[in-house]
Amino acid sequence: MGLADRAVGFLLSFISLSIFTYYTFWVIILPFVDSDHFIHQYFPPLEYAILIPVFAGVTLLFFLCVFIGMVILKSKKKKP
Amino acid sequence: MRHVIKIITILVAISAIWIGLLQTAVIPNSHTWLLPIYLVVLLGCYGLLMVGVGLMRFPTCPQEAMLLQQDIIEAKEFLKQKGVDFGSD
Repeated sequence: MGLADRAVGFLLSFISLSIFTYYTFWVIILPFVDSDHFIHQYFPPLEYAILIPVFAGVTLLFFLCVFIGMVILKSKKKKP
Repeated sequence: MRHVIKIITILVAISAIWIGLLQTAVIPNSHTWLLPIYLVVLLGCYGLLMVGVGLMRFPTCPQEAMLLQQDIIEAKEFLKQKGVDFGSD
């Protein structure tokens, strides 16, 4: 039980740290690097650095609203 | 109420710094426009990191769990004698 918790915790922190480093590199460091450096081929163009978080946020909001709606519908069905 | 005011002041300070950075072009403007989104992603990352670290350091107390199970069994026996109905288990 404790081991599974620790594994999930480690996975979460690892994902968080990797997202942090990749995104920091992408948004802050890469614009200062010359455009013919080889590192640029590992990163998509900069518009995606805005599109992907916005898309993820909108998806999150969407699932949240759907979940709340389903809960409300379920509770209304039980009442009468 | 105090907490909300604290958060609002922090937000106002950050937006003031951002607008100041926009006006005086210390950093090139294309950079400055990306800053709020970067801060939001940073905040989400930080939250995820705290959850992961908290999960990793969560202390389980095996002896307390055993004692709790015994307490539950005792309480069930006692209440069954008194006639309380335990429908589900």
